[in-house]
Amino acid sequence: MSGLAGFLAARELWQAPLLASALAGAMLGFLGVYVVLRRIVFVSAALTQISTLGLVVGLFAEERLHVEAEHAHHQLGMAMGFAVAGALLLGAWRPRRLPAEAGVGAAWVVTSALVVLGIARLVHVSHDLGGMVFGNAVAVPPEELWIMGVVALACAAIHAAFGKELRFVSFDPETARALGMRVWLWDALFSLSIGLAIPAAARVLGALPVFALLTLPAAAALLWKLRLGPALGVAAGFGLLAAVGGYLASWFAETPTGATMVAAAALLVLPGAALRGRG
Amino acid sequence: MRSAAELPGGGPVLMALRRAAVGYGKKALLREVELEVRAGDFLALVGPNGGGKTTVLRALLGALPLLGGAREQAGPVRVGYVPQRDHVDAVWPFTAGEVAAMGRTPGLGPLRRPGPADRAAVERALQRVGMAELHGRPYAELSGGQRQRTLIARALAAEPELLAVDEPTNGMDPAAELSTMEVLRELHGGGGLAVVMVSHRLDAVVSHARTLGFVDRERALFRVGPAEEMLRPGALAALYGREVEVREEAGRRVVLPVARGGGA
Repeated sequence: MSGLAGFLAARELWQAPLLASALAGAMLGFLGVYVVLRRIVFVSAALTQISTLGLVVGLFAEERLHVEAEHAHHQLGMAMGFAVAGALLLGAWRPRRLPAEAGVGAAWVVTSALVVLGIARLVHVSHDLGGMVFGNAVAVPPEELWIMGVVALACAAIHAAFGKELRFVSFDPETARALGMRVWLWDALFSLSIGLAIPAAARVLGALPVFALLTLPAAAALLWKLRLGPALGVAAGFGLLAAVGGYLASWFAETPTGATMVAAAALLVLPGAALRGRG
Repeated sequence: MRSAAELPGGGPVLMALRRAAVGYGKKALLREVELEVRAGDFLALVGPNGGGKTTVLRALLGALPLLGGAREQAGPVRVGYVPQRDHVDAVWPFTAGEVAAMGRTPGLGPLRRPGPADRAAVERALQRVGMAELHGRPYAELSGGQRQRTLIARALAAEPELLAVDEPTNGMDPAAELSTMEVLRELHGGGGLAVVMVSHRLDAVVSHARTLGFVDRERALFRVGPAEEMLRPGALAALYGREVEVREEAGRRVVLPVARGGGA
């Protein structure tokens, strides 16, 4: 009880991070259904690294060129710019002589290396960057909670307004194109939604939980053989559960927050996997 | 080769390619393509895999920019498109009814949700292809033939004037192939619907098509004309590079290669 009493007494400490985690978890769980079904799981991993690179570039610009990038919204703006551009480029890149995965893998490994090099050069902010990469939802300032809320609302609005078009072009782009739909435009809108969501969520949760929450809650929901509409809702719920449950578990067990969220998300996959295993 | 104006089909020209160069990027696979589709026609584009049939179809529909020549269309034409079945990813958890309902999406436009008229059109489309009772079944759990009929229903849900079908019988057993072709023949026979079908097997379409187009980019072949004319030995030899004959057996046409120095 003393643990719980201590937790409740520290409400001001966890209130904003928990709310931001819940928003990020639900949003990533929802978007993850598209990510998994469009078979672009590793695109999301690459985008997470690309957005982190955007942050590194912003910090470099501040240090070397004395460009204003101290505030969270400046850094997040850079990360979002990089992520949206990366999503559009990876979405549009259709190499003829190479599988598309080669480009995604190259983007991931090159940006990962650049982030590591950036961290090595930006020694004074390496702790912050470490939080971005490995997850640190312990402290979320009100400004970032607001940004998270706005991004979640924007993603919800995009998918509520254009859900039927996004579903059609994701499921069968060939037919959509043949019927005169501007598939590139709808793909760009989808890329915009994940390009906004990933950096905002990575800022709150870290890169590793973002990748996990874009994959595991959706997989858990889809294993239950639900139709797409219910699967989107259940995946959002699973994402919220994994983020909040992971946060609370990490508080009480004093474990790293991001990794605990990933473990919580992985646990949610087990019932569906067992159900499928039984046929 | 007959000129475009002489082609059969009955109704007015819906879409046409005039001296078109078709291909991807800057590389033309076929040049000087003359093709028109009239209301009520049943046109089959036949040729080997990779021969450029689907490319011609996409160019005809305006989904692929031309590298030369012109595309003509008689005002707005409602098109239904049926892709190759294995191009549609069955991992998506849609029911047959939800897949069919997508046919209404382009016509509805953004921000509008399907209403009673849309749902009725989808229901009619599913009934026309015999899938009404399976509308709630997951697409992934349907057989190949049922998936094909679902995709045809999706195309019909748009209430098209032109139905474009890409290799609908690919990978099907003979019974499912016959069933699919009968669905297409009934749809075509039911009114002024124009059907444009792509197939790498002449057998599959020879009993149904009114107009045939032979397409093979390797031989720089694009030849189109009435079925009776295209089934003559000279035209068939241009497609197959050897002597081929068409026989009538039990009311159906069968394509048979003629053995070198002997009969079929």
